[in-house]
Amino acid sequence: MEKRVNITIDGVHIRAPEHTSVLDTAIEFGICIPHLCHYPGVPDIGACRLCIVENVVRGKPRVTTSCTLKVREGMEIHTNTDRIQQLRKNVAEMLVAEAPNSKAVQDVAVRCGVTDVPYKFHNEECVLCGRCVRVCNDVWQAKALGFVGRGRDRHVAFPFEKKPDFCKHCESCVDLCPMNRTPCPGPMKKGEEFVCGQCESQLSMAEDVDDSCVWCRLGDGFGCTRKVQAQ
Amino acid sequence: MKRINTVEELESRRDTLLQEQDSDTLTVTLCGGTGCRASGADPVMDALQQQLKEKGLQDRVSVQVTGCHGFCEQGPIMVIDPENTLYCQVTENDVPEIVEKTIENGEKVDRLLYRDPVSDEMIEKEADIPFYKAQDRVLLGDNRRLTPGNIDDYIANGGYAALGQVLNRMTPEEVIGEIKNADLRGRGGGGFPAARKWETCRDTPSAHKYVICNADEGDPGAYMDRSILEGNPHAVIEGMIIGAYAVGAQYGYIYVRKEYPLAVSHTEQAVKQAREAGVLGENILGSGFSFDVEIARGAGAFVCGESTALMASVEGKVGEPRPKDVHTVEAGLWNCPTTLNNVETWVNVPHIMNKGANWFASKGNESSKGTKIFALTGQVKNTGLVEVDMGTSLNDIIYKIGGGPHNGARIKAVQTGGPSGGCLPENKFDLPVDFDALTEAGSMVGSGGMVVLDENTCMVDVAKYFLNFLQEESCGKCVPCRVGIGRMLEILTDITEGNGKPEDLDVLEQLAWTISETSLCALGKTAPNPVVSTLMYFREEYEKHIRDHQCSAGVCRNLVEYRIDPDRCTGCGACLKACPHGAVEGEKKQVHTIKQDLCEKCGICKNVCKFDAISVQ
Ligand SMILES: Cc1cc2nc3c(=O)[nH]c(=O)nc-3n(C[C@H](O)[C@H](O)[C@H](O)COP(=O)(O)O)c2cc1C
Ligand code: SF4
Ligand code: SF4
Ligand code: FES
Repeated sequence: MEKRVNITIDGVHIRAPEHTSVLDTAIEFGICIPHLCHYPGVPDIGACRLCIVENVVRGKPRVTTSCTLKVREGMEIHTNTDRIQQLRKNVAEMLVAEAPNSKAVQDVAVRCGVTDVPYKFHNEECVLCGRCVRVCNDVWQAKALGFVGRGRDRHVAFPFEKKPDFCKHCESCVDLCPMNRTPCPGPMKKGEEFVCGQCESQLSMAEDVDDSCVWCRLGDGFGCTRKVQAQ
Repeated sequence: MKRINTVEELESRRDTLLQEQDSDTLTVTLCGGTGCRASGADPVMDALQQQLKEKGLQDRVSVQVTGCHGFCEQGPIMVIDPENTLYCQVTENDVPEIVEKTIENGEKVDRLLYRDPVSDEMIEKEADIPFYKAQDRVLLGDNRRLTPGNIDDYIANGGYAALGQVLNRMTPEEVIGEIKNADLRGRGGGGFPAARKWETCRDTPSAHKYVICNADEGDPGAYMDRSILEGNPHAVIEGMIIGAYAVGAQYGYIYVRKEYPLAVSHTEQAVKQAREAGVLGENILGSGFSFDVEIARGAGAFVCGESTALMASVEGKVGEPRPKDVHTVEAGLWNCPTTLNNVETWVNVPHIMNKGANWFASKGNESSKGTKIFALTGQVKNTGLVEVDMGTSLNDIIYKIGGGPHNGARIKAVQTGGPSGGCLPENKFDLPVDFDALTEAGSMVGSGGMVVLDENTCMVDVAKYFLNFLQEESCGKCVPCRVGIGRMLEILTDITEGNGKPEDLDVLEQLAWTISETSLCALGKTAPNPVVSTLMYFREEYEKHIRDHQCSAGVCRNLVEYRIDPDRCTGCGACLKACPHGAVEGEKKQVHTIKQDLCEKCGICKNVCKFDAISVQ
């Protein structure tokens, strides 16, 4: 039988399957933690930092991303403290200001309470979540896409900037991309961006977990689909 | 080289080497560190060898080329013993005179002696130079004595004695106990207790374990690790072997950036000699303990100095950090327990084993023990590598060793800790330089960068400079670091260009908090430091930029005006001719003026004016 460990998330006792991440466990048990770069079945890298939680280590709550955090016996996790809510909102603000034309990003930002951003919009075409790179490299082992450059220059590219012969044409990269998964029908022009968030959730959330949803308190800080629908 | 098979053989080898040395011979020591080589040490060396040969003095005079002495600013440095005469800025043309006067006749060449910029006195002996006198050169002192990479030289100076003692008489637990009693804290930035790392690594069961020496040293302006590895690679290797014995590692890596060719070649030579001598490799000194090291060359990214990125890089993967919820001492290189320490941390280990934990702990203060090397730069008279006891005050470093302000301008701050360190104002200069005091004050010891800033420095501009570096060096993986630093930089740029808004400071503070709390690795977590510390101590400078559109230091080009003082202008026309933008007008012998709409604020006019008539406002 699968081995399980005891953890608590927001005070709820959970017997989590060993070797799973805190994020997967939380979603599995109906506790919705916002996330963007995570995609089920694809290895996590902790890029977007939306899935941050507090992990209490020796009495001290440490902020860390739940997608890269593996469950351990006795772990105590808080997903929705004031500090986490504020930090998550700030990160979402940075993200939506980078890529206002992603429905997924707009959606998550508005749910994290973002109403406006304190900086100029950038209107990028990629948020560097790395879903495409990871599905290509880690899931299909095709290695046809990768990150190039560091810092400001980091971008997704084919090797030598040309689609290689060994691309399997699976189109997974396109399917998983939060920029064009259900493209926005009215993309914002440069200079006219705003926080919109009118679209429905693009993210895998409690919709998949009807039976297990515990109507977690997270819904208060983060407008989960079910809570919003219920209101 | 003959293999040394036991500790006893090592000791008799040392005795033989010491007997061969003759302390009465004249020794000429030439610093061969990267700094002195860049300022021309190689031709001096060639000229010296040639002169000595021509005069038939080769046998009477021994010539030694060593690693960096730390006084790079005055290089090439030459010291002649036993008189301890120090000559600075020596060129090949000086060599005949040095040989004739000093070596043959024991006279000094006055113009090559060091002139103390503070007292303006000529100083004959190396030991009397204030820059050295106020230091405690435990580690750099070895650099000054040794021919880099030469194992006989190292052994004659007491090298590998610590290893012998450890293998002969100590259990791994006792070694860790000694390091714990010495309270050795990591020199690579964090100040983490070395013994705690070693202990966890030892206690984590695994068939394979590794030790790594971090010589990535990506901070701009830092070169302490480079100097040690260039000047004394055997000590680093000895420290690593002792560490490997303590944690139970069989293999190690020295991760050096490939921009350090001299460090790489000296280390390669040292590794080769150590293997041949039997102090490295199979069955070290006949003890049954085996350990070997390999040199891994880093591609030179700053972020590759971060522990997980470094390990990814050694594994041949892209050098990007990964989350550290599981520490590298438990699962590091190839998922095996790995002890990573900085060059300076490793090099302290043989000293502690030789002289004891109490000796080490007697240096420094309650919080931090031993000595620390700093790269002192900026607006002070003496710059270079300085080694002081931990807990020495900033004042002592800046004024006693650094000699105070460089050109009469008031010193207003010191930036410590490298790019993600912080700036401390003058009224904090009595702080002891230790890991905790500096962190508490909003800066850090970091790897040991120390830049002295005077009143002609704009603190907003300083913060912008470091943030710019960090943005370029961020791996770009995670949002707060990549996007957040970029946003902070945008705001700082606005402020320095006169487009700052009052609410900007709040946004900066929110960003700083978010970046430090949510970034994946320590690069991001510490990146806001330059902004946070300058906001803490120099907030009024930010406000002045925003509110009054003024940069008091006269650095931010958009906020300053060049003006000609009509009382001083003689109408010589030098500025008119020099201005590349045609912004100066005026008739010959009449007062000149600057047309502000054409002025590009390059400052060329100010530099050419002989009458000091042009000022920045
Ligand atoms: C961005 C970044 C760069 C770093 N660069 C270096 C470096 O060049 N050299 C170094 O020794 N440590 C560096 N560190 C610290 C290492 O991660 C690690 O803490 C250190 O090497 C451990 O050795 P110590 O305990 O002996 O200090 C860096 C850390 C970060 C976050
Ligand atoms: S292209 Fe799309 S999936 Fe790939 S990194 Fe960019 S946003 Fe993510
Ligand atoms: S904090 Fe910066 S350097 Fe570290 S992983 Fe994130 S983007 Fe890369
Ligand atoms: S989902 Fe965890 S960091 Fe993006």
